[in-house]
Amino acid sequence: MAEASWLLEANGLKKYFPITKGIFSRPAGYVKAVDGVSFRIRPGETLGLVGESGCGKSTTGRMVLHLIRPTEGTVLYKGQDLGQMGAQQMREIRKRMQMIFQDPFSSLNPRMTVTEIIGEPLAIHRLSSGREKKERIAELLELVGLSKRDMGKYPHQFSGGQRQRIGIARALATNPELVVCDEAVSALDVSVQAQVLNLLKELQERLHLSYLFISHDLNVVKYISDRICVMYLGEIVEEADSEALFGKPLHPYTQALFSAVPNPDPMARKERILLKGEAPSAADLPSGCKFHPRCPKAMERCKTEAPALREVASGHQVACHLY
Amino acid sequence: MFEYIVRRIVYGLLILLVMTVFTFVVMRLVPGDVVTLQLAQAGVVSEEQMAALKSEMGLDKPVWQQLLIWLKGALQGDLGNSLWSQQPVMDMIAKRLPVTLELVGLSVILSLLVGIPLGVVAAVKHGKWADQLIRVTAITGLSIPNFWLGLLIITFLSLWFGWIPPIAYRTFLEDPVVNLQKMILPALALAVTLSASTIRMTRSALLEVLHSDFIRTVRAKGASERIVIYKHALRNSLISVVTLVGLQIGILLGGTVVLEYIFSIPGMGSLIFETVSKRDYPVVQACVLIYGGMFILVNLLVDITYGWIDPRIRHQSSKA
Amino acid sequence: MKRKDVNGVAELSQPGLQLPAAQRAAPRSLFWDECKRFVRTQPTGALSLLFILLMTVTALLSPVLAPYEPDAQYRESIMVGPNADFWMGTDDLGRDVFSRILYGARISLYVGLVTVVLSVIFGTLLGVVSGYFGGIVDMVIQRVMDGIMAIPALILALFIAALLGPDTKHVILALVVVETPRFARIVRGEMLKIRETTYVEAAKAMGARAWRIMLRHGVPNMVAPLTVLASLAFGGAIIAEASLSFLGIGTPPPNPSWGLMLSGATRYMENAPWLVVFPGLALSLSVLAFNLLGDALRDYFDPRLPS
Repeated sequence: MAEASWLLEANGLKKYFPITKGIFSRPAGYVKAVDGVSFRIRPGETLGLVGESGCGKSTTGRMVLHLIRPTEGTVLYKGQDLGQMGAQQMREIRKRMQMIFQDPFSSLNPRMTVTEIIGEPLAIHRLSSGREKKERIAELLELVGLSKRDMGKYPHQFSGGQRQRIGIARALATNPELVVCDEAVSALDVSVQAQVLNLLKELQERLHLSYLFISHDLNVVKYISDRICVMYLGEIVEEADSEALFGKPLHPYTQALFSAVPNPDPMARKERILLKGEAPSAADLPSGCKFHPRCPKAMERCKTEAPALREVASGHQVACHLY
Repeated sequence: MFEYIVRRIVYGLLILLVMTVFTFVVMRLVPGDVVTLQLAQAGVVSEEQMAALKSEMGLDKPVWQQLLIWLKGALQGDLGNSLWSQQPVMDMIAKRLPVTLELVGLSVILSLLVGIPLGVVAAVKHGKWADQLIRVTAITGLSIPNFWLGLLIITFLSLWFGWIPPIAYRTFLEDPVVNLQKMILPALALAVTLSASTIRMTRSALLEVLHSDFIRTVRAKGASERIVIYKHALRNSLISVVTLVGLQIGILLGGTVVLEYIFSIPGMGSLIFETVSKRDYPVVQACVLIYGGMFILVNLLVDITYGWIDPRIRHQSSKA
Repeated sequence: MKRKDVNGVAELSQPGLQLPAAQRAAPRSLFWDECKRFVRTQPTGALSLLFILLMTVTALLSPVLAPYEPDAQYRESIMVGPNADFWMGTDDLGRDVFSRILYGARISLYVGLVTVVLSVIFGTLLGVVSGYFGGIVDMVIQRVMDGIMAIPALILALFIAALLGPDTKHVILALVVVETPRFARIVRGEMLKIRETTYVEAAKAMGARAWRIMLRHGVPNMVAPLTVLASLAFGGAIIAEASLSFLGIGTPPPNPSWGLMLSGATRYMENAPWLVVFPGLALSLSVLAFNLLGDALRDYFDPRLPS
């Protein structure tokens, strides 16, 4: 595929946080939050990024938006390298990429009205003002299922689900092409989650959006994603189309993850795969394949050699020595 | 722990330096200087005489050079001579500093003696009339200007009892009775503000500790209320009181200026007041240095006490 | 779970979903809402505020309310105690103490107001820059602020005011220098906290510049500690002006600064105690009002404190 057809490309993203010790802050080691992550997103597509907490998915999401600078690696937006951009250029690009945050309570400034919150991106980029701006804000509110009457209210007057809708309206204000959803529904009640997810899906169709959907909840990811990447300790261990991944998970970690998901069907037979031990700290990673200490299918090779991400079926990649 | 102390000391010295430079520069930026003032008294004077006098005092050199000269001297213990009286500044300070220290010391002791017990009572009788009364007293005490209090004391003592404090000052060693007679009133006036703060701080710190889980465990063990209060809760609240003294010492030191003036006490406060108007740079510089130094020292001691009390800091071998 | 129309109406018709109780009509402003709540929960504070407002009105209307001119000397009634003609007596030049007290309120309030306003502005600017940018900028600003704060407040004020000469403007300048670092420290602390919030992160994701974050997101969320400190600083400024005037390096005579009135009274303390009592009482009451207000504000913003 030609490069220009990818909306977003992440290549070899790494983020190491130094651990400082002593008066002179000498780095005693690094927390390797993200250790070599690559993926691509097409226009109008949803890429799911799934993994346990601490696996680096949120950090990856922030690197995509350049809220955190990658230690290594590049992010290309429509072929342009974000790392090489000047401040003005970067500001322009920010109109095209937006983010929806996890916590509906802290992601909205408690002292701003809904009008001000949603109007802020419009003001920053000088997209409209006065009456035109008010009309646009009303339009956005209706788009996310709220009403014009909510414009003068404050965040504390809304429920969690409604606040998340306000956050979505805010993200859409500049007509972005890519929206990074960082655990966007994880803090909501289950019934409300479904509503918001449906909203996101409709908006995607209506506005031809791409999503990078980050979550630890497999059911949610399955519902909304076209393709899914599974992350473990800062690396992608498996990548496939949604159906393919759920139909036949290849990596032992993915298999364990899926086995833990409750299945409403009482007749479904399922073996719960239990992993040994706990996930190690990202400051002190195992050698070879990072998963080997917990892997039920670990071999000798796994202790010394880290497996590369390889395509084993059409559109299905795994990083495992079993394949 | 050692590292902690060293860091604090270095920081304190740095602040002392910043403060010194600040005062030095400000004094020379403001128009008017010693020479002009001194000579104004002498009548008309020629340009050459003014220039000669200035040169003698080293005032004609650029500011940064004057600063370096002064710093060099200060590090060797020589703070220069008063531009007015030619007396060595060090001597003046040596005579006046103990007086102010005595005043401040008396105030602190009085404040703690009055403030802590009242604060405890207020906390223990939380919500009852004793608490309310103490709190009202405290906030009133905070609002009364200390110099007015001093004036009131003198006025009504003489009106009602016909007694005025002795005119001349004697050091404690020379004549303790006269000394205390002179010092007790300004110390009381100064102490009112600090006791008020102490009462409030003791009360709120003690209340917070008394409602904490830690105390609930002690009570559950069956300890008597008295032990609960004195042995356990109070120890924890005293930390806050210690910090408070550190913070408030600045206000106390500032208060010495006006009170020494009112009660004619020959301390640092009256010295700085007399010499600032006269633009007697070396004396003022030294006074500010001493006052600032005292403030920094007290806070350093508070920090160290904090570090000693808080085991986390005490046992740290290296900072993460 | 049936899919719903993106339009809000369809969503609400879903069974089991209730309108949250919090959704009342929009308040005209968050500020008035909080004012009303303050009056309800902090009666002492509300009373103090009322007293301060009354004091302000009285000060502004002093030409109307004062029975005599503050400078008018009545030679036949020198050092007369409080009586029907002169409610608070007269001083050594035969001036009516009551009228001077009323006019004196103007000076105290003026100094307090200007000092606090300027200190808040400068302190906030320094504090947000220091807290937001961190690094070298923060270190330098912090060191300078600490250096200034290391000099006891009154001594520093004395230092500056004495150098510049007796004038109310100089007093204000001195007090602003003294108070600004204290505000800067509080603002910096708050900015550090606000910097880590998600809504600031969201603003950055939108491309907001530093100034916008500091002023639109930072400052409005630090109103609480700022108002507490402002109230207490107001009271402190009143006392400081009085102290400096008392020493003769503040407001110059013949202005009826309360501190100046006290300084003139020292010579006649035993003969005319009312000269000492009334100005001091005025000072104490004013400062008491600001201290009570500050306390009430602090309790209002932090209900966890034991009351």
